Amino acid sequence: MTMTPSLRRTATAAGRRGSSAAGWAGWGWIFVLPGLVGLVVFVVTPMVASLVLGFYDATLLGGLTPAGLENFGQLVRDQQFIASIGVTALFVTIFVPLNIGLSLAMALWLRTRLAGRAWLRVIFLIPALSPMVANAAVFRMLLQRDGLFNSVLDTIGISAIPWLSEGRWALLAIILVSVWQTFGYNMIIIGAGLDLINPDVIAASRIDGAGPVRRLWSLMIPLASPALFFATVMTVIGAWQTFAQSYIITGGGPGHSTTTIMLYVYRAAFSYNDLGYAAAISAVLFVIIASVTLIQVWGQKKWVHYDG
Amino acid sequence: MTASPTTRPAPVVSPRDGVSPERRRSRRGWIVNSVLAWVVAFIFMVPIIWTFLTALKPGNEVFSTGLRPFGSEILWSNFADAWTEIGFGRLLANSLTVAAITTVLTLTVATCTAYAFSRLRFRGRNGLFVLFVLTLTLPMEIAVIPLFLGFNAVNLLDTWTALILPSLFGAFGAFLLRQFMLQIPSEIEDAARIDGASTPRILTTIIVPLVRPALSVLAIFTFLASWNSFLWPLIILNSMDKWTLPLGLAGFTTQTGTQWELLMAACVLTILPVIILVAVAQRQLVAAIGAGAFGGR
Repeated sequence: MTMTPSLRRTATAAGRRGSSAAGWAGWGWIFVLPGLVGLVVFVVTPMVASLVLGFYDATLLGGLTPAGLENFGQLVRDQQFIASIGVTALFVTIFVPLNIGLSLAMALWLRTRLAGRAWLRVIFLIPALSPMVANAAVFRMLLQRDGLFNSVLDTIGISAIPWLSEGRWALLAIILVSVWQTFGYNMIIIGAGLDLINPDVIAASRIDGAGPVRRLWSLMIPLASPALFFATVMTVIGAWQTFAQSYIITGGGPGHSTTTIMLYVYRAAFSYNDLGYAAAISAVLFVIIASVTLIQVWGQKKWVHYDG
Repeated sequence: MTASPTTRPAPVVSPRDGVSPERRRSRRGWIVNSVLAWVVAFIFMVPIIWTFLTALKPGNEVFSTGLRPFGSEILWSNFADAWTEIGFGRLLANSLTVAAITTVLTLTVATCTAYAFSRLRFRGRNGLFVLFVLTLTLPMEIAVIPLFLGFNAVNLLDTWTALILPSLFGAFGAFLLRQFMLQIPSEIEDAARIDGASTPRILTTIIVPLVRPALSVLAIFTFLASWNSFLWPLIILNSMDKWTLPLGLAGFTTQTGTQWELLMAACVLTILPVIILVAVAQRQLVAAIGAGAFGGR
C-alpha cells in the first residue's frame, strides 16, 4: 500500500494528536483502580460471601467449619424465622403501596399553584434525610399509652389505642412511622419524573377534553412510569431490610410481632452468637430480595414506558 | 430605544377595571390550595415540633400534660442536662470526625472513578461501568455479617477503620459525578493537553473546579449518610468512647426508665444540623435526588 507523503504526514499527525488527546492509556485503569478494589473488597465480596457463609458454622474466635445444610435445615423448622418472614412480607405489602401512593399524590399536589412550594418540599424531605434512630426515638415517645397520639384521639372521643402493646397495632405503627420518615425522598424522585413530561403534551390533552382523572391514568402515570418504577424497586429493596424502626420503637415485640428479618439476623448473630445461622438468614433474605427485584424488572415491560 | 404606547403589550386587565371573576376564582383557589398544603405540612411536622416542646418540659410532665404544648415551666437546662447525661459532647465529636473522614475519602475515590468513566478511554471501561451500576441495587445491609467476620479475621473489630472503610465505595457518588463530568466540553480538556498538562493535572485543575457544585451535593449526601448510619456502627463498635450519635441515642432510648425530656433534647440536637443543612442546600439536594434516579436508565 502506497501513501503520498502528504497523506502519510496528516495521518500520523492525526494519530499523534488523537493519542495525546486521550492521554496515556494506562491512566484510565489507575484512576478506576481505588474505587474498583474497594468495590470488590467491601461490596461485591461480602455480598457473594453472604450466600456462602450460611453453609458454615462461624464463631467469633475466627473458626469457620463447614456445616453443610445444617443451618438451612434448622431454618426450615425455626418458627421465629418463619414469623419474621411473615412480619417483613406484611410490612412490605402495606408499606410500599402507601409510600408510593403518598409520594405520587404529594408530588402531583406540589406541582399545582402553591405559595412556598420549595419550602413545602423541604419540609416533607427533612425526615427522610434525618437520623432514623432519632425519628424512631421520637415516635417511641409519641406512641406511648399516654403519648401525643392517644391524647389527640382522646380529645376527639376515641379510646386509647394500644400502639406498642398489641402486635397488629405495633406493626401498623412501625409501618406508619416508616411512611412518614421515607416518602419525601420518593416524592422528589417522582416529582423529577413528572417534571420531565413535555408540558405541551399535557396542554394538548387538556384541549382534547381529557379530565383530571383520565389525564392522570392515561398520561401522567405512563409518562412518569420510569420514575415510579425506580422508586418502587428501591423502596421494596429497602423495605425488606427494615431494622432500626423495630429495634428502637418496639424491640421486635410484643412477642415477635414486629421482629423483621434483619432484626432477627442481628439477634441471631449478636444475642445468640450464632454467626453462621445469621449468615444463613441473610442468604435467604438476599434470595428473596433478588427474586422480588427480578420479578419487577421482568414485569416492567407491562407498564413502564421509556420513550416519553 | 423608546417604546411607543402602541408597542407596549397591553395589560390583560388594567388595575382600574378590577380583577375579572375568573381570575378572582383562580386566586381564591390558589389561597385555599396553599393554606391546605401548609396545614398538611404542619401536621406532618408535629412529631418534630413536639420533640422540641417535650425537650423543654419538666421530666414528670412529659406525659401528664396531654395536648398542652408547654409544661409548668420552660426548662432550657434540659439541653445542658442531656449534654452531660448522654455524653453528647463525646458522641458529637465522634460523629463529626467519622462523617468528615468518610466524606473526604468518599469524594476522593468517587472523583477518580467518575473521571475514569467519563473522560478517559481504557479497555474494559464499559463492562466495569455496568458492574458499578449493578451494585447500586445491592441490598447492602445483608452484607453486615460477612463484613463483620472479615474485620474480625483481621482484628479490626471495634475500630473506626472498620466503621468507615465499607462505606467509602458505594457507586452512587461515582455515578452522580460522572453525570456532571460528561457535560464538560472536551475542547477545554484538549486545550490543556496541547499546553502539556498531564492527566492528573487536568483532573485537579480543570475538572474538579468545574464539578464543584456536584461535589458539594455529594459531600452533603455522604455526610448525612454517615451521620444517620446505625446498623453497621451498632454491630462493629463496642467501646462507648468510640460511639457515634445514633448509638448513643439508641442506648439511651432502650434503657429502662428513659428520661424522655433529655432524650428529646438530644434528638433535637441531632436533627437540627440536618434541618439546617437541608434548608440551606435544598435546591441542589432536590436536583441531585432526581439526577441520581434518572442517570441510571
